[in-house]
Amino acid sequence: MSHLNLGQINELKDLMEDAFEDLINTYVEDSDEKIALLQSAISHQDKEKIAEISHSLKGSSANICAEFLSGLFKQVEDQARAENLTNIEQPFTLAQDEYLQVKGELNQLNS
Amino acid sequence: MDAGSSLKILIADDNKSDRMILSAIVKKMGHEVCEAADGLEAVAQFKQALPDIILLDVIMPNMDGQAAALEIKSLAGEDMIPIIFLTSLQDANDLAKCLDSGGDDFLTKPYNKIILQAKINAFSRMRKMHHILQRQRDLIRENNEYMVHEQEVAKAVYDNVTHAGCLHLPNLKYLLSPFSVFNGDVLLAARKPSGSMHILLGDFTGHGLPAAIGAMPLAEIFYGMTAKGFSMEDVLREINIKLKNILPIGYFCCVCMVNLSFRKEEIEVWMGGLPDFYLYRYDDKRIDKVISTHLPLGVLSSQAFDGNTQKYSFRKNDKLYMWSDGIVESRNDQGDLFGEERLQDIFSNNIDDTALFDEIVKTVNEFTGERGKDDDTTLLEVRMVDESEVGEVSIDLSSGMVSGPMDWNMRYTLRGDTLKTFNPMPLMLSILSDVPYLKGLSGQLYTLMAELFSNAFEHGVLALNSALKQDAKGFAEYYSQREIAIKALKEGTVSFEFDHQPIPGGGRLMIKVTDSGQGFDYKCRQDKNFINQGYSGRGIPLILSICDNLEYVGNGNQVRVDLSWTAD
Repeated sequence: MSHLNLGQINELKDLMEDAFEDLINTYVEDSDEKIALLQSAISHQDKEKIAEISHSLKGSSANICAEFLSGLFKQVEDQARAENLTNIEQPFTLAQDEYLQVKGELNQLNS
Repeated sequence: MDAGSSLKILIADDNKSDRMILSAIVKKMGHEVCEAADGLEAVAQFKQALPDIILLDVIMPNMDGQAAALEIKSLAGEDMIPIIFLTSLQDANDLAKCLDSGGDDFLTKPYNKIILQAKINAFSRMRKMHHILQRQRDLIRENNEYMVHEQEVAKAVYDNVTHAGCLHLPNLKYLLSPFSVFNGDVLLAARKPSGSMHILLGDFTGHGLPAAIGAMPLAEIFYGMTAKGFSMEDVLREINIKLKNILPIGYFCCVCMVNLSFRKEEIEVWMGGLPDFYLYRYDDKRIDKVISTHLPLGVLSSQAFDGNTQKYSFRKNDKLYMWSDGIVESRNDQGDLFGEERLQDIFSNNIDDTALFDEIVKTVNEFTGERGKDDDTTLLEVRMVDESEVGEVSIDLSSGMVSGPMDWNMRYTLRGDTLKTFNPMPLMLSILSDVPYLKGLSGQLYTLMAELFSNAFEHGVLALNSALKQDAKGFAEYYSQREIAIKALKEGTVSFEFDHQPIPGGGRLMIKVTDSGQGFDYKCRQDKNFINQGYSGRGIPLILSICDNLEYVGNGNQVRVDLSWTAD
């Protein structure tokens, strides 16, 4: 099973045309950086920062057709907004794994 | 900015990949894109790029979407800049906050091309409509300002024309309350060269500008002809034909015109279409009603126009009250008419006659109360005073040095129907006024010639007895006899001979008036210098005060006066 919504990603490819590669690179660079920042925020228990970054990742992942990944970032964001970080590691770890899969598929699409 | 045409769209999102996707979608639609990575940049871009529609992310660093929306909406002022929030927020409270900060709609992630296109098109149409409304509103405002300005200028001209004259004289009290900027009522007063006064109260059909337009030619004719000494009938006839020619069918002017003669202590009234006027008799506090006997001006053709007037004696402190129908037809809160009865009550309850005018104004105002008046309301009080109280007639003597015709002779004979109906004063005065110095005396000359003419015609040709005009009853009798005598008159003439000669430093004017009547025994009176009371009807003392000398010759059907002048 793919980690991306294939119907949507093809539509996106059509839409972006030559800029698709650039979009994927931008998403990956941006997400790499944000996931690192999110990890640091979680270790510092900075709820506000966690919510802000996971919100952003949730949105950009949804736009890049990674629905499941977007759902995991939503769980992280929801917990941070609920100000309860006791179970935050679980969805974050899942999101990190899922992200690696998504990244792999995106890079394949790009090649 | 058609729904399909290209717009400039600002995309503000801190997430670069999101911005790229959205930008690609919007560009595919054929629109121009500008981008911002946070709220501060969004506000700056808004000022610089002036986008048509803004797509604004809610959660952004530095300045979030809601703060940016507030700022942009306040910068846009009354211009409509649709803001569509980009959000994955689901909570109803968060969405409501976005709307409160000035957002117009939402777009949720992941972005859907079709929905975004539909929203952009919808807002583009809305913005276009807003522009049209603004343009139309501005146009209406501009037009309105223009119209108000025009009306103000026109009103200034109107006031200059219609409020010239001598309404300020101490024997007149008046009230003009305009129902709108312009008043359908006209109130005019001017002195004739003879010293008597023409007063005209007019009420045009309708209100405001359409009613006021007719007042302009009316006032021009009134002032112009009155200053030249034309009779009331001539003035009215001229106004009638003018209004008949220029007013649309169904528009006319109810008019009352009065010629107030201070010297003869009488008023001559022509009334067409106005409510009854009250003639207050000072002696016995009696009210005589003056009623309308004619159609309004501007209705009849010149042939059908009837210029007949009624004459009333008007002794010192007698008063004439004139009003437009706005007084009697004013209404109170309950919609009742003020009516004739209330008006009459004011007069019957009056104790101090000098307060009458104020009592009428006060009573009508109290009656109508807050409601104000439905119609133009004009009220005028005319009091009889000694001529000295209203002063001399001032004649414009701007023509300067002595010149013009100095040495000439002229004879002018009136006969037949012309003698009965035509007023030769303006014509003769106009010829005499060619001599610049005599122009300055036109008031006295008018009086002089009018007196000589009326003596020659009424006492000479018609053989009426001036002694009749001693009291009000005799006064009426005199005029009814005059009427009969004019009708019966078969033939008769009155001739004027003018002779003007230069003398050192000035000139001498001789006027000889000859009538076809039987003459009269003037010899014994001439000796007494015409001081005899019984003779006052012939106005001889007055003539003597103007001229060097007066001399009856022949049977007394010929009279000669001399008037010499020097320019100093």
